[in-house]
Amino acid sequence: MKSRSEASVQGVYSTLTLLAFGLIFGACSPSENSQIGSESESILSSGKRITIALIPKKKGLPYFTSCASGAEEAARELGNVDLIYDGPTDGSPEKQASMIEQYALKGVDVIAVSPNDPEVVAPAMRKAREKGIHVITWDADAVTDARSYFVNQSTAQAIAYGMVDTMVQDLGGPEVKAQVAIVTAYLTAANQNIWIEHMKARMADTYPNLDLVAIKPSDEDQKLAFKVTQDLMKAYPDIKGFFGISSVSFPGAAEAVKQAGRSGEVMVTGLATPNSMKAYVQDGTVKSVVLWNTAELGYLTVQVGAALANGTLNPGDEQFVAGKLGEKEVAGDQVLLGDILVFNQENIDQYDF
Amino acid sequence: MKDGFQGLRLGKWMLGLLKQRAAGLFCFTFLALGLVSLINPAFLAWGNLRDIAVQAAPVCIISCGLMLVLVLGEIDISVGSMMGVLAASMGAMVSATRWGLSPWIAVILTLILGTLMGALNGWLIAYLRVPSIMVTLGMLTALRGVTEVIMGGTWITDLPPGIRYLGTGSWMGLPICLWVCAGVIVLSTWLIHRTPLGRRIFAIGSQPRAAHLAGLPIQRVKFLVFAWTGFLTALATLVSVPQLSVVDSGIGVGMELLVVTCVVVGGTSVSGGTGHLSGVVFAVLLMTMISTLLIFMKLGENATYWSRAIQGLFILGAILLDHLVRSKKSS
Repeated sequence: MKSRSEASVQGVYSTLTLLAFGLIFGACSPSENSQIGSESESILSSGKRITIALIPKKKGLPYFTSCASGAEEAARELGNVDLIYDGPTDGSPEKQASMIEQYALKGVDVIAVSPNDPEVVAPAMRKAREKGIHVITWDADAVTDARSYFVNQSTAQAIAYGMVDTMVQDLGGPEVKAQVAIVTAYLTAANQNIWIEHMKARMADTYPNLDLVAIKPSDEDQKLAFKVTQDLMKAYPDIKGFFGISSVSFPGAAEAVKQAGRSGEVMVTGLATPNSMKAYVQDGTVKSVVLWNTAELGYLTVQVGAALANGTLNPGDEQFVAGKLGEKEVAGDQVLLGDILVFNQENIDQYDF
Repeated sequence: MKDGFQGLRLGKWMLGLLKQRAAGLFCFTFLALGLVSLINPAFLAWGNLRDIAVQAAPVCIISCGLMLVLVLGEIDISVGSMMGVLAASMGAMVSATRWGLSPWIAVILTLILGTLMGALNGWLIAYLRVPSIMVTLGMLTALRGVTEVIMGGTWITDLPPGIRYLGTGSWMGLPICLWVCAGVIVLSTWLIHRTPLGRRIFAIGSQPRAAHLAGLPIQRVKFLVFAWTGFLTALATLVSVPQLSVVDSGIGVGMELLVVTCVVVGGTSVSGGTGHLSGVVFAVLLMTMISTLLIFMKLGENATYWSRAIQGLFILGAILLDHLVRSKKSS
C-alpha cells in the first residue's frame, strides 16, 4: 500500500521530469538559431553593427537552406551584419508570428520574413515596425502595410507563365490538345494561389488547347502529392501534364508518373530545388524544372535589409546596387531579383542544392 | 458478484453494438463504392484497388498498435514524428553520401530504433506515471526537432535500389507492404484473442482498478504496448517511405491524427476497454478511400473542400456515437 506522501512525491517527480523535458524541447524549437556572419572581422568604416533576422517559411527545407547560404555570403561581404537564420520547423504561421515578436523584443535591426500566411503574421510585423524595426518580406509577400519592401524573386506572372510555357514546350507545342492538373502546396498558400491565377490566365489567353481538370493540394506532403497524382491519372486516363508547384509536390508527382510507367508520355513540370529532381530529369520523367536562383534571393534580401538599416535605400528609389549582383530594379515597394531559371538535362548537374 | 454479472452483460451488449458499428462502416463503404463505380467504373480496376490498399497499409500497420494503446485508456500522438525520425535516420543510414550502410543493417537498426522510442514513451508513462497525452505531446515536438537535426536542412535524394525495393517491390504479385500489413493484422488478431497479454490489455482498459486488485502487471503491459507501437511505426516507415525517391523532413506530419481518427472511427472507445480490429481495418480503408473516391467522381476543383468536410464529419460522428455509448453505460 502506497502512502499519500509517497504518491505525491511520485507526482512531483513526474512533474519535474516533464518540466525538464519541456525545457529541453522548448529550448530546441524556437530559440535554437544559427548565428552566422562576420565573427571577429574588424568593424568596417560604417561602424554600426546591424542584426538581421532572416525568417523562412519553414526551417529545414533545402530551398530555404540554399537561400540562407546566399544570405550568409552577403553578410560576410558586408562585414558589419550579424545574420540570424531561424524559422518554424513545421511551417506554422502562428509560430512564425510569435518568432517575429520574439526577435522584435530582442531588438534586432531588420526582420526579413517569408510569411506562411499573409494575414496571420501581419499583426506581429506591424508591431515590430512600430518599434522602429525595418520589416521586409522575401520569397512570399504579406499584407503590404505590414512591411516596407518585398524582395521578390521574380514577378508572379513571370513564374506562372514560365511554368505554363515550359509545359506547352514539353508537350510538343501550342497545337497539342491536353488535359493538365495542378498539384499545389496548401490551398491557403499565397504564392501558389497567385501563380495559379496567372497560370489560368495564361492558359485561357494563349493556350486554349490546355484543359485544366483539377487543382489538388498536397499539404506539403510528398506522399499526398504522390497519391493525388496517381488518382488523377486513373480518373482522367487522357491526362497529359502535371504541374507540381511546390518543392514537395513536384517530386511526389514525378514519382507517381514514373511508377505508373508513363514517363515521357505524361509530362511533369513545376518548381523544385534541382537535387531532388535530378534523377527524374536524367530518366526523362521530367524535362524541365523551373526555379530562380535561390542563393541570390537570400543574398539580395540581406543587401536590402542592410541598406534599409544604413539608410541607403529610401522610398522612391528606382534602382538599388546589390553588391555582386549589381543594379536591381525597384518597382514601387518591390525589389526584383530577375528572371526565372530553367533546369534541364544540359545544366542541372551544375547546381547542387 | 452481481456487479460482475452486470459487467458481463454490459460487455456483451457493447460487443454487439461494436459489431453493429463495424457493420455500419462495412455497409457505408460498399454503398460508396457502388455509387462511385456507377459514375466511374474505372474505380473498381484492380490497379486502383491495389493502389488504395498500398496507401492504406502503413496507416493500418500503425493503427494495429495504436488501437491497443487506446484500449488501455492511453493515447500516443507521437507516431507521426516518430515516423519522421525513422525515415530520416533510415535515409541517412543507406544514403551513399552520408553513412552508406547496407540496407539490411539499416532495416534492423530502424526497427530497433522504433522499438526504443516506443519503449521510452512506455517507460515514462508506465513507470514514471506521466500522463500519456503529455509524454507523447512532448515527443511530437521533440522528435520533429530531432528529424531536422538529422536532415540538417537538406533532403536525402539518393536512396539505393535495395531499400527502394521495400516500397516499390512485389512478391507473388502483391506489393511488399501488403504482405507486411497482412502479417501484422494476423499477428495482432492472435495477440488479442489468443494470448494472456491480449486479455490483460482489455482487462486493464475496461476495469483498471479491478485489474490492479487482481495483481495484473499493469506497468509491464503498458510498457510493452507502447514499445510494440514503436516497432510497428518503424515497420510502417520501412515499407512506405521507400515508395518515394526523396526523403524530406516533413514525412509523417499529421500521421498521428489520421491514425487516431481511424482507430476511433473503427469503434475503439477513447476511454479505453473496447476495440475491434476489423472495425479499425475498415475505418483505415474508408479513410484512405475518401479522397480517391472524390477524385473519381470528377467534381472538379471543389472536390478538395468536400474531402476535408467529409473527413471532419466522420470524426464528429464517431465521437458522438462513442459519447452515446458511454452515457448509456453510466445510466
